[in-house]
Amino acid sequence: MKISRRNFTGLAGALALAGTFGLGGAAAAETIKIGIIGPFSGPFALQGKNFQAGVEAWLAQNGKSVAGNEIEIIYRDLPTANPQQARALAQELIVKDKVQYLGGVYFTPDALAITPLLKQGNVPLVIFNAATSAIMTSSPLVVRTSFTTGQTTTPLGKAAVDRGIKKFVSAVTDYGPGVDAEGTFKKAVEAAGGQVVETIRMPLNTTEFSPIMQRIRDAGAQGVFAFLPSGPPTLGFVKSFNDTGLKQAGVKLFATGDLTQESDLPALGEAAAGMITGFHYATSHDSEANRKFVEAGEKAIGGPGQLTFPAVGAYDGMYVIAKMIAATAGKQDAEKAVEAVKGLAWESPRGPVKIDPETRHITQTIYLREVAKDAKGNWINKEIQSFPEQKDPGLAK
Amino acid sequence: MVQAPAPSAAATPARSLGRDLAGFALIALAGLAGYWLFPDNLAFLTRVISVALLVLSLDLIVGYCGIASLGQAALYGAGAYAAGIACLNGVTEPFLLILIGAAAGAVTGLLMGTVMLRAHGLPQLVLSIAIVQLLHEAANKLAWLTGGSDGLAGMVPAPLFGLFEFDLWGRAAYLFGLGLLLVVFVALKLIVRSPFGMVCRGLKEDPLRISALGISAFPVLLRMFVISGAVAGAGGALGAIATQVVGLDSLSFELSANALVMLVLGGLGNLYGALIGTVVFMAVEHIVAAINPFHWMTLVGALLIAIVLFAPRGLSGTLDEAARILTRGQRRAGP
Repeated sequence: MKISRRNFTGLAGALALAGTFGLGGAAAAETIKIGIIGPFSGPFALQGKNFQAGVEAWLAQNGKSVAGNEIEIIYRDLPTANPQQARALAQELIVKDKVQYLGGVYFTPDALAITPLLKQGNVPLVIFNAATSAIMTSSPLVVRTSFTTGQTTTPLGKAAVDRGIKKFVSAVTDYGPGVDAEGTFKKAVEAAGGQVVETIRMPLNTTEFSPIMQRIRDAGAQGVFAFLPSGPPTLGFVKSFNDTGLKQAGVKLFATGDLTQESDLPALGEAAAGMITGFHYATSHDSEANRKFVEAGEKAIGGPGQLTFPAVGAYDGMYVIAKMIAATAGKQDAEKAVEAVKGLAWESPRGPVKIDPETRHITQTIYLREVAKDAKGNWINKEIQSFPEQKDPGLAK
Repeated sequence: MVQAPAPSAAATPARSLGRDLAGFALIALAGLAGYWLFPDNLAFLTRVISVALLVLSLDLIVGYCGIASLGQAALYGAGAYAAGIACLNGVTEPFLLILIGAAAGAVTGLLMGTVMLRAHGLPQLVLSIAIVQLLHEAANKLAWLTGGSDGLAGMVPAPLFGLFEFDLWGRAAYLFGLGLLLVVFVALKLIVRSPFGMVCRGLKEDPLRISALGISAFPVLLRMFVISGAVAGAGGALGAIATQVVGLDSLSFELSANALVMLVLGGLGNLYGALIGTVVFMAVEHIVAAINPFHWMTLVGALLIAIVLFAPRGLSGTLDEAARILTRGQRRAGP
């Protein structure tokens, strides 16, 4: 039975390509299918490409079979947050394509639309990105290999105060993740004995930041905590921070690492030099596992400079799914699969990580990094301090 | 088909009634065929029905009244959020949720119409965009009520008739949606055929002449706005019930623009066109995106350009044209 299954997998893979309406399914039951939902087109396509690169890097290193079972990846595109479409895609992957595992998911509302389906579908969901704490409580069949905003800002706030800075201004973009970041950073700073003297919320489409810089100056802050969507807004903020002389006046800029993701660093470059961020992963992380991962990931994504944090979430997500497949011997049993990875610990490209048995969210090292040049003259997020075994404070009881 | 500029065909009431009944039967059959042929795609098909209601509502004001709008999702989203919030607060009966959604859409339509009807042409279009953006931002800000950018989640609608759950397979949601679509479609057919509907068309074709008849445009158009809001709101509520999550995308400019694209694709001022446009657009998008999840948008763009260039009256208009040429050919060949 098992041998013939292996022989037929090539054929099954080819047939599964015909996965349009009404087709597919027949011969495809022979392999274990994994459905990956992510933004593979549209404005967030780079993040989706990183999902794909992470998955493919894992496949390139570990092969396409797990414990004697062939695996097949089905990608589904969800360009922007759209819960209705997320549910439709997940439903189809479960019911029609008969996937045993779901992975990916970039935005929180999409994850929340999928979680009610998991129990009936008998399918675990491994989240590669969507970073709101509450997702984990919406279904016991969710495991997450990314990070949460609170997880990165909490050690950042403490480290900032430890550096002798007491008075902060927080400037965040006025949307869900920004408001979350403001709250968690403030809490961490106050717990460490510092003070956030002013909280500024910037409208989503702000392009002119000098009035905000003036408010920061007027507040007499020694440090600024910033959270903006990555890309052009961050660039504008950082340029304005320099141009208005705040940087020269010795004010320190702190942020979460999504603002200085590696794909944006060439553009940020000199302007962001010295900026301090807290995050779980830098492609420049110094370890053998990471060097191998970056090599495979850059090959999969088609060149250097595009590989960023969602790829490591996807890569570790594949590791978790593989462990689930091995633990259930390829049989579809979502509860057993999730149970098997609770407490799972391993060496990820980002460092040592563990799936917290209670929250099913990843416990990991958070690094304090500084934007600096490496030996070859490329801008990197240079790790200067590490905070091991950080859980998600948003899920702590 | 009935709405084609073929006055002789629509003239006799008996004949048009027969055509209407055939049309309704066709929609019901197509819907049931979808249920049997694609039992694994019901969540997607339910989404098509939900969006079809939005496109129908847009057709009422763009196609029948000639009011330009790129903000129709404001009405759809109002219905979706109203149904979602009601459901989280203990109102779980699906029929009641649809009514709540329709009522919220109607109220929003009343407000939106009052503002938009102050202007004409491009300023009107800009107003519609402003309204949908304002509501989007309001829903984003009122995170305690709407869940903000995380979306409103956790609603569990009661089973349909106390028996059929809204579950993974989505059978209840789809049949519920199909029933809703049929009821709405029959009602809209009656409305656009009524004297009121005729006045709306008249206002679109020749507002000066209608005002010369002593009819004031504002209350007529406002009434259509309220009806349109109720339809869009019901569609939003259906989406909320079927998905059990309401996101900011349901109040977005993108959704409004997509609805207009689907309407133009199907053909303006024709209820069948609105349905055909929605089904064709969403099905093509869905199939192409499944085949190539990375570059499918290019293909959809090419399709749209082709249709605008080669079928400027939309799919339904082109079908009409083809039918007329065919029948004319037969008549000539006959005697």
